[in-house]
Amino acid sequence: MDRETLETLLIDYIDGRLAPEEKLQVEQELVNNKEAYILYEQLKEVIHSMERSSKLEPTAKLKSSFDKLIEEEIRSSKKNKTIFFQPAFYRVAAAVTLVVLGGGIGYWISKYERQQQELADIRKEMQATKNMMMTMLDNHQSASQRVLGATVALKMERPDDEIILALANAMNEDSNTNVRLAALDALSKFNKEQNVRKILIASLTTQKDPIVQIALIRILVEIRAQGTVKELQRITNDEEALKEVKDEAHAGILKLS
Amino acid sequence: MTDELLMEAVKNGDLQQASALFERYNKRIFNFLARLTMDRALAEDLTQNVFLRIIKYRNSYREGARFQSWIYQVARNVFSDHYQVHKNKFSDFVDVEKVSDALYDTEDSDVLDEQERLLQRSMAKLSDEQRELLILTRFQHMKYEEVAAIMDTTVANIKVKVHRAILKLREHYFELEKI
Repeated sequence: MDRETLETLLIDYIDGRLAPEEKLQVEQELVNNKEAYILYEQLKEVIHSMERSSKLEPTAKLKSSFDKLIEEEIRSSKKNKTIFFQPAFYRVAAAVTLVVLGGGIGYWISKYERQQQELADIRKEMQATKNMMMTMLDNHQSASQRVLGATVALKMERPDDEIILALANAMNEDSNTNVRLAALDALSKFNKEQNVRKILIASLTTQKDPIVQIALIRILVEIRAQGTVKELQRITNDEEALKEVKDEAHAGILKLS
Repeated sequence: MTDELLMEAVKNGDLQQASALFERYNKRIFNFLARLTMDRALAEDLTQNVFLRIIKYRNSYREGARFQSWIYQVARNVFSDHYQVHKNKFSDFVDVEKVSDALYDTEDSDVLDEQERLLQRSMAKLSDEQRELLILTRFQHMKYEEVAAIMDTTVANIKVKVHRAILKLREHYFELEKI
């Protein structure tokens, strides 16, 4: 039996960990091998002295400092209770709530910013359209450009005062009938606006172009603008007015009365 | 109530339950550290530190984990942190001849038999790891399985190391005996 195997077997033998056959093997070795016996005696003494070794007692100071420690910890944990949720479950719940809330706020902010950006883009586009329209209406060289300018206004949802004024001017003052008709057409689209109605009625008194007059009468009758009947009666009595215009005015009065 | 249930209660804020754990473990941890450091006063300070850590870091206790393994792991960390702070290995400054004086009260020392004195001096000559293994398995009668759980290794590995430590201790013991 080699030394290493013997040592291991002897320790296990002292510890009572050997199977019966191994135990027998060790006992035979102890009888036949003096060196093995000495080693066994020495190991037994060392192992037994460790196992017999007395227990050490801590002083009373250990217990008293522990009690102080616990007291302090309980006091400080009570202080922190409002900040640190107990048990851990509540802390997790609080963390989840914060994340969800943070995500929600983040989403809301980004949505708000996106809407603001879209609004700004629309405003920019409207301004560009308006500028284009005003430039076209102001083009003294080309009547067709002015007509086009008036039709651009048709695409607008809600015109501002500046556009209405520009269209009214075109309707009343433009030298070209087509431009005047196009401007009238554009204005009539916004007939729900009070100021547009007033402009249309006022135009009936000043308008000298019979084609525009007839178109204007038809629109005013259709939208049943206030004060139309009075203006139509004036036209029927106007000696300068063309017969076709007077007839249209007369038909309008009949429709409205 | 089991150690594990007590510790879970502590973790959930019932700090008073730590007192029961202290009652169950303070002597064992003190003995472990006293035999490891060979210094009773220091062992008391370190034991106090172990319980301080248990309470301070109660949230790091994994529910279902064996409490005994955990507290001994904390004790081992406290021991190694102490010597790291002092930038010294145990064997560099322990005076083997004076070990018994630091470990036993003066009154105890009078009755301390020669065999025990010899044992402590031989223990002081072992490496930290060997001394630790013998304290756990022989002085504290822990099973190899329990020690393997504390040291996070296999039972076979612990057994081999314990045997080597016993053989080494025998060498020192009988060498010192001759002096």
